[in-house]
Amino acid sequence: MSPLVEVRDLCKHFPVGAGATVFAVEGVSLEVGQGETLAVVGESGCGKSTLAHTMIRLHDPTSGQVVLDGVDISTLGNRALREHRRKMQIIFQDPFASLDPRRPVGRAVAEPLHIHGMATGSEADDLVADLFVKVGLEANMMRQYPHQFSGGQRQRVCIARALATNPQLVIADEAVSALDVSIQAQVINLMMGLQAELGLSYLFISHDLAVVERMSHRVAVMYLGQIVEIGPRRAIFENPQHSYTQRLLDAVPIADPRARRDRPLLTDEIPSPVWPAGTSPERVVMREVVPGHLVAEEA
Amino acid sequence: MEPLLSVRGLTVTFGSFTAVEDVSFDIHAGQTLAVVGESGSGKSVTALSIMRLVELGTRGKIEGGEILFRTPDGDLIDLVQQSEDAMRVIRGNQISMIFQEPLTSLNPVYSVGDQVAEAVILHQGLDRDAANERVLEMFRLVRIPEAEKRMAQFPHEMSGGMRQRVMIAMALSCDPKVLIADEPTTALDVTIQAQILGLMRDLREQTGAAVLIITHDMGVVAEVADDVVVMNRARVVERGSATQIFESAAEPYTKALLASVPRLGSMAGRDEPAPFDLVEYQS
Repeated sequence: MSPLVEVRDLCKHFPVGAGATVFAVEGVSLEVGQGETLAVVGESGCGKSTLAHTMIRLHDPTSGQVVLDGVDISTLGNRALREHRRKMQIIFQDPFASLDPRRPVGRAVAEPLHIHGMATGSEADDLVADLFVKVGLEANMMRQYPHQFSGGQRQRVCIARALATNPQLVIADEAVSALDVSIQAQVINLMMGLQAELGLSYLFISHDLAVVERMSHRVAVMYLGQIVEIGPRRAIFENPQHSYTQRLLDAVPIADPRARRDRPLLTDEIPSPVWPAGTSPERVVMREVVPGHLVAEEA
Repeated sequence: MEPLLSVRGLTVTFGSFTAVEDVSFDIHAGQTLAVVGESGSGKSVTALSIMRLVELGTRGKIEGGEILFRTPDGDLIDLVQQSEDAMRVIRGNQISMIFQEPLTSLNPVYSVGDQVAEAVILHQGLDRDAANERVLEMFRLVRIPEAEKRMAQFPHEMSGGMRQRVMIAMALSCDPKVLIADEPTTALDVTIQAQILGLMRDLREQTGAAVLIITHDMGVVAEVADDVVVMNRARVVERGSATQIFESAAEPYTKALLASVPRLGSMAGRDEPAPFDLVEYQS
């Protein structure tokens, strides 16, 4: 079966003055299967959010392709793009910033239905009510305003809005990072339940490796705009091959005081992704460890 | 051993809202106490109350309780009863604090070296040259590479991790007895967080200061804390050593909190993703 989404050699570069360029995403290739969660992990500035935004065409790619359900959407015009965007929705980190404070939340959830001509009037209201129930809210909450909700409830509203168009792929860009840990766990359980129920695929952008280990099928590790390791979750967590993957995993605090580790007092940091005029980063070369588990060659 | 700082029955209100209610705990020299809780539990207000910053600007009011502090001279004083002038001598000198976001704690138009020197000159009465010597010493202590060059840099020229090192250098520059760290690594990437936590642990051993760390992250608690106070809805719900809290928590809230913490390695050997086994908690 062909994957739902195929990203081929995707690049997104931003000019930053004086001829310099940020190579935010550089030659990324990946696939997301039907009903699968692919997590993209990495630290600030590694390009994981830019990758997500470029895939959904919030940025136009510098080069490369994004094939969704057999169609290359990377070069589609606005009208054609809209039709395909219905299949692909995004949830952001801060649900408060994603909702209009002056409108009842039900209208935010109904908006995609209107935009895509899927339903209007009482028919839309019924669909919104169903969506509220699906994400664990009460149907009558659709008449309330964002400030009347807790952070976790607001993120449930954003999930309901993302599901309104019956998408096949939902991109979650640090969607649980701003939530308190008990609420985070509830929202993750909700997302996993919805995946089982609806056969959704997730592209799960996160800096939190412990959360990723819980909910993903496959994991891609990004470093300075490029994927340095990608494979099944167990391969990445139980048999990490790249030194950066190992370093990330070693840095995660473990919630067990008996497992406390002595850490070397390092001070090194990730280099800048800005390249002066006329220079560019070297592309990594991937090697297959076992089928499906790829790692960048290291010098 | 006698505590260095002892919070007894602290209650703090904002108008009709009680943010902290009857909170008590002790902090000992050379030990790290973690106050852990979720948003709105009152953990940061507790920290700000010890510094007596809660009444400044935020209209908080310490309604009751004592904050007993053993001064370097051996006197036992109640911080709640101190005048603003007296507090100004204590703050930054005997008790200092670092915050979550170092960029908002630093002045963008002065070099970081000058800002740390200012604290040293103010609190220790050193002249400019001696202060600069002290700053260099502190920058080396917190392992800022190329410390001399870095002193001349401005905050925007540094990474988040380096800025937090500057804040720690400033906080430790006057040899405080107590260091309060309010979510010191929350804004940092995980590899940088590991560096800063390691540094804080190392410095506590070197300086013998007592550390009070405020955090929402049970992973951070497990990494650094000797003792733990769990807060929920303005009150302390449970206290104990780190191992007691993690291995035999007694209170339903603590159990529910721990059940929702994602733990790296908990999925080893399992092919498919799995939801959290959540513990119901009704407050």
